Amino acid sequence: MNTDFDAIVVGSGITGGWAAKELTEKGLKVLMVERGRHIEHGTDYVTEMKAPWEMPFRGEGDPQLYERDFAVQSKNRHFTEYTQNHFVNDRENPYAVADGTQFNWWRSYQLGGRSLTWGRQSYRMSDHDFGANKKDGHGVDWPIRYADLKPWYDHVEKFIGVSGQNEGLSSLPDGIYQPPMALNVLEKHAKGVIEAQWPDRRLTIGRTANLTQEKEGRGVCQNRMICPRGCSYGAYFSTQSSTLPAAQATGNLTLITDTVVETVDYDAKAKRARGVSVLNVKTGERRRYTARIIFMNAGAFNTNHILLRSRSDAFPNGLGNSSGRLGTHIMDHASTVGAIALFDTFQDRTSYGNRPTGVIIPRFRNLADQPETDFVRGYSFQGGALRSTWTRGKREAGIGEAFKNNLRHVGPWRMVLVSFAESLPRESNRLRLDAVKVDQFGAPLLQIDFTHGENERKALTDAGKEASAMLKAAGGKVILSLNQPGIGGSAIHEMGGAMMGHDPRSSVTNRWNQLHDVSNIFVTDGAAMASSACQNPSLTYMAMTARACDNAVTMLKQGRI
Amino acid sequence: MPNIDSPPIASRRHLLRAGLALAGAAVTPAQVWAQLAQAGAPPPLPARMRQLLERVCDLTIPDTATPGAVKAGVPDFIILALQHGLSHTDRPPPADQFSGGAAPAGAGWLDWLRFELDLKAGGNFLAAKPAVQAKALADLDAAAYAKGGEKSPWRTLKGLIVTGYYTSEIGGSQELFFELVPGRFDPDVPVGPNDRAWSNDWTAVDFG
Repeated sequence: MNTDFDAIVVGSGITGGWAAKELTEKGLKVLMVERGRHIEHGTDYVTEMKAPWEMPFRGEGDPQLYERDFAVQSKNRHFTEYTQNHFVNDRENPYAVADGTQFNWWRSYQLGGRSLTWGRQSYRMSDHDFGANKKDGHGVDWPIRYADLKPWYDHVEKFIGVSGQNEGLSSLPDGIYQPPMALNVLEKHAKGVIEAQWPDRRLTIGRTANLTQEKEGRGVCQNRMICPRGCSYGAYFSTQSSTLPAAQATGNLTLITDTVVETVDYDAKAKRARGVSVLNVKTGERRRYTARIIFMNAGAFNTNHILLRSRSDAFPNGLGNSSGRLGTHIMDHASTVGAIALFDTFQDRTSYGNRPTGVIIPRFRNLADQPETDFVRGYSFQGGALRSTWTRGKREAGIGEAFKNNLRHVGPWRMVLVSFAESLPRESNRLRLDAVKVDQFGAPLLQIDFTHGENERKALTDAGKEASAMLKAAGGKVILSLNQPGIGGSAIHEMGGAMMGHDPRSSVTNRWNQLHDVSNIFVTDGAAMASSACQNPSLTYMAMTARACDNAVTMLKQGRI
Repeated sequence: MPNIDSPPIASRRHLLRAGLALAGAAVTPAQVWAQLAQAGAPPPLPARMRQLLERVCDLTIPDTATPGAVKAGVPDFIILALQHGLSHTDRPPPADQFSGGAAPAGAGWLDWLRFELDLKAGGNFLAAKPAVQAKALADLDAAAYAKGGEKSPWRTLKGLIVTGYYTSEIGGSQELFFELVPGRFDPDVPVGPNDRAWSNDWTAVDFG
């Protein structure tokens, strides 16, 4: 097998797929390296069409198996008996946390990575976000602004297919959307009430990478809302449904699975990366691949992990870490249930089908020049309205025929708003190589040292109050409102560690996602994030990747790298 | 995970065999536990416990126009669930939830159920008249969902019965409506008193 390529893409998830597509379409011979197993689109979605009674544990899963093999993953709401084969085995893939801290690192090691299991919410970041670090002094200034990414957001949205509604908001830039999914009757009512009472707030349908119109080779969403099982219709964006077939169609892609990148190899004389050293996890065989450029798309923390363990005389603390900041300023979103309310209205109305997105209320706090609250930056809400179903029978008194007949019908409306507060970039939140613990292959474990801060707590406290006020105004009776963040990682938006910045002394990557220290390595997954904003980040990772690929190929052609 | 055929169950079976309990007879928790303590170690009787489980499932979700929990195979699901510790049943039921005092060592979730129902039925729940059985379980349920009943093991067991039924083919697709591939989303449709709820409204299953 050929071991020399134009480009190596490390990882096959949301950004790895994009890097492979963009680079192969620009004519480069690309090797994509995936640490997990191969999953074939369609045929390998083995639980996709299963009903609960066809599952050994009715979809609930085997707690004994979960305790042994999925101790962290099984805490994820999207982890079920149907989807467990799309999550990593924790026992075989351990990580460490710093003393006194906790972190839920939810992972998918497989072809397609977390593109198979992601929440599909697709939002642009605004200049409120790109300018935040400079404005309030947390972290380092982003070296890009919205105008830099806008054409690439356009490019990505057009290709992956995002359904949504343009709203003209400064905090959540409009995009190129397929027709939006519809609000149900209670959501529509709540929208009217909230927007009348708080003119600066907007309730809109979630912008989701589920198709409402066919795209080449992909069908429209069937409103099943079982996406993480895998969708043989190709109706939501994943590597398998979208970027991988595009990359393969070029004839320029070589894909290897079950192969973990142990290190990126550095040529001190040439001052550039030579390639990668890999381990086949099935055969134990080790080998090297070489390339002119390397794209790091292993997932934010794993990209950090690989760079940290790629130590050499030139970079004793990790490749590209002359600043000492590699692994620092990691983030997640601080999230919790803002409010849940019961409604006794619209009892004669319901909906048909399983809409695979909810509603959002984009950030409305601190958009003016001066902060209006005791915290900086902001938060957003995601949620929706629904009518209860049989699961309420677990919480309600009653037995016998009357109990059964009651559960035969839809229950009352309830509406949920989940708060997502921005996570400030802090140097103390960081990744390290564990000094003692190693994995099954002898490599040091990644140690995560992360805690939410006071700013996040204040933001969530405000969010809880506002969520309650909005649901009350819409006629609901609030039954729960929380204001403390979940364990770090719980938003599944872990990011940072190789943050972009102007200055090589204080940041790891430059405005083109290149390592400041090694010009032919590009970090375009969540590791490059310099701040978290408060919206779902995956679309931004995709846009950064496409932009960086375009620039990398230009520089290659010009002989600049 | 406590074995459902553990000695406390067998002991109570011995108690029942002795013919001590008669429906309606007044017994105290202390009397029941005293009998248990005197009992030897008869062979386990899963059939007897299964009979209890079936009766409780039937009382909770009976046959109506559609088959109920027993015909839907819920007892088998409960046994599997308890064997594997679903809904945290790998931990023993809280000791303070046994009426009249702490549980004997090794008492499991079905031990608790049997003990409490025997107590409420005046001795032998299974031998009691249907109306007495129904009242015993209704009382147990009412107490579990009244203020202060939050830790009642019945909430867990009932939760498993509910889950077992509505994720069965009978409960999920005959009693309720099941459509794996809706194909469309209608945001606002009328719902009448005879319309069935969806068993696979996944958002409602998660948040409802």
